[in-house]
Amino acid sequence: MTEEPYRWLEAVANRREYVRDQLKGGSPVMAAVLKDGILLLGVGGGQSKVFELFDRHALVGLGHPADIEKIRQAAIDAAHTEAFTRAPEDVSLRRLVGFGLSPQLKNNFEQIYNAPFLVEMILAELANEEGKDLLVRLHFDGSFQNQHSGVVVAASQSTAETEAQSWLQSLIHPQTSQVEAVEWMLQAWWCLIENKPWGGELPSEPERQSGWRSAVGSKTVELAWLSRTSKRAARYEPLTLSDLGLV
Amino acid sequence: MSSMTPMAGDFLSLLASQKLSPVRTEMLSSGGPVQTQATTVFAFHFADGVIMAGDRRATAGNLIVTDKVDKIIEIDSTSLLAIAGVPATAFEMARVLQTSFEYYRRSQLQHLSLPAKVRAMARLLRENLSMTIQGIGVVAPLFAGLDQSVTPAKPQIYFYDPLGAHFETVDHATSGSGSGTIRSIMSFQEHYGNPKPSQMSLAEAVRFSLRLLMTAAEFDSATGGVNPGTHTFATIRVLRSTGIEIITSEQQAEYLARNTPAS
Repeated sequence: MTEEPYRWLEAVANRREYVRDQLKGGSPVMAAVLKDGILLLGVGGGQSKVFELFDRHALVGLGHPADIEKIRQAAIDAAHTEAFTRAPEDVSLRRLVGFGLSPQLKNNFEQIYNAPFLVEMILAELANEEGKDLLVRLHFDGSFQNQHSGVVVAASQSTAETEAQSWLQSLIHPQTSQVEAVEWMLQAWWCLIENKPWGGELPSEPERQSGWRSAVGSKTVELAWLSRTSKRAARYEPLTLSDLGLV
Repeated sequence: MSSMTPMAGDFLSLLASQKLSPVRTEMLSSGGPVQTQATTVFAFHFADGVIMAGDRRATAGNLIVTDKVDKIIEIDSTSLLAIAGVPATAFEMARVLQTSFEYYRRSQLQHLSLPAKVRAMARLLRENLSMTIQGIGVVAPLFAGLDQSVTPAKPQIYFYDPLGAHFETVDHATSGSGSGTIRSIMSFQEHYGNPKPSQMSLAEAVRFSLRLLMTAAEFDSATGGVNPGTHTFATIRVLRSTGIEIITSEQQAEYLARNTPAS
């Protein structure tokens, strides 16, 4: 009898375990707030991970491509309808996540006859002024955390995610250049996928540098930049490692 | 999550699924309010691409409503629209196109092709048929876009009739109440000018455009024209294979001040 509370709790706990198991091995994604914009990074094996949502909004996620696609499409539909019926300035990530994506993810997660979304993601909103940007870390169960500066990491293992994020926070600051930020983020990405220990036992910098370079060999590094200095309405600019001189 | 739109990437289908209408198509039984309208807009090929220009006046009957209207609108990074006709309808059409093109690009992860963009404008004009027949919502725009099926991408110009028929032009296109005056000049320049508009440099093309608007304003009270003395200039955009460039009032003043004749 699924109506019995303890069975429901057990079912939800099982689903949490199931989703985490499905997300194991997913390639971590990251976003960093810099002085002139927001940098988003994902490393994929063919499936895209970094997407433009609206003029000042972007998404980077890991998980099942079909689920990322559903969320991406829902966010794009909502943003464009809002922009058309009101104004582009009225599209806000706070409302998009808080009133749209998060309740739907929570609903799917807790309705045990529905399939849960197998996703972990970061959504970014660029502001005109530094310090007012918004990064939202959105989880598969609909819970989310907001952050206005620094770095956000999304990975399948929460402990490693927290440690990698702390490590990157100590290295990446608003004045950090795009190239330096990407270099640090790729080193963190490599440490995460290789399950390297954080703290004092972290591999040396030369090891980390050669590590990510060999690990991305057959993969695609996807980079995007939400530019604060652009004069165009659409601030999303795809970047490549060669644009930054990193290959 | 919202269900897929009936036609993937189609913003008008998305609006329809949410019972939102992009254009007003009600039939009016009697005479409507006085409309703001009248214009001179044009586009022609020059040596580097396409230049599109327009005056900045909006009128209602014999009243000047404003001299600060931008009638050349950047629809996306590779498309320009010059609006002529009733602004209430024309600006709404531009907004629908802007959202539609960006919606398609973001949702489908590819650019809409130039023929599809041209037809999207035609579709809006067709859906505006009842307003056009009533004579209160007539729009006759010009469209310039990049054909990205060739390398390098090729700028092209299209013009429409108010019912939605669209035609590509090889040299120039004009629209609005002052267009008759300058059409003759452009045709003359194309046949007998030296340089021809298609051979002009950017400076020559901008100067030619400003002089066309000055001439149109002499014969059409609904065209705002250009007056360097009062720092009144036109809206000018350039579409090259690399993208769109805005020609500012300061640049227009500088090009006009260079006292070399266009022909």
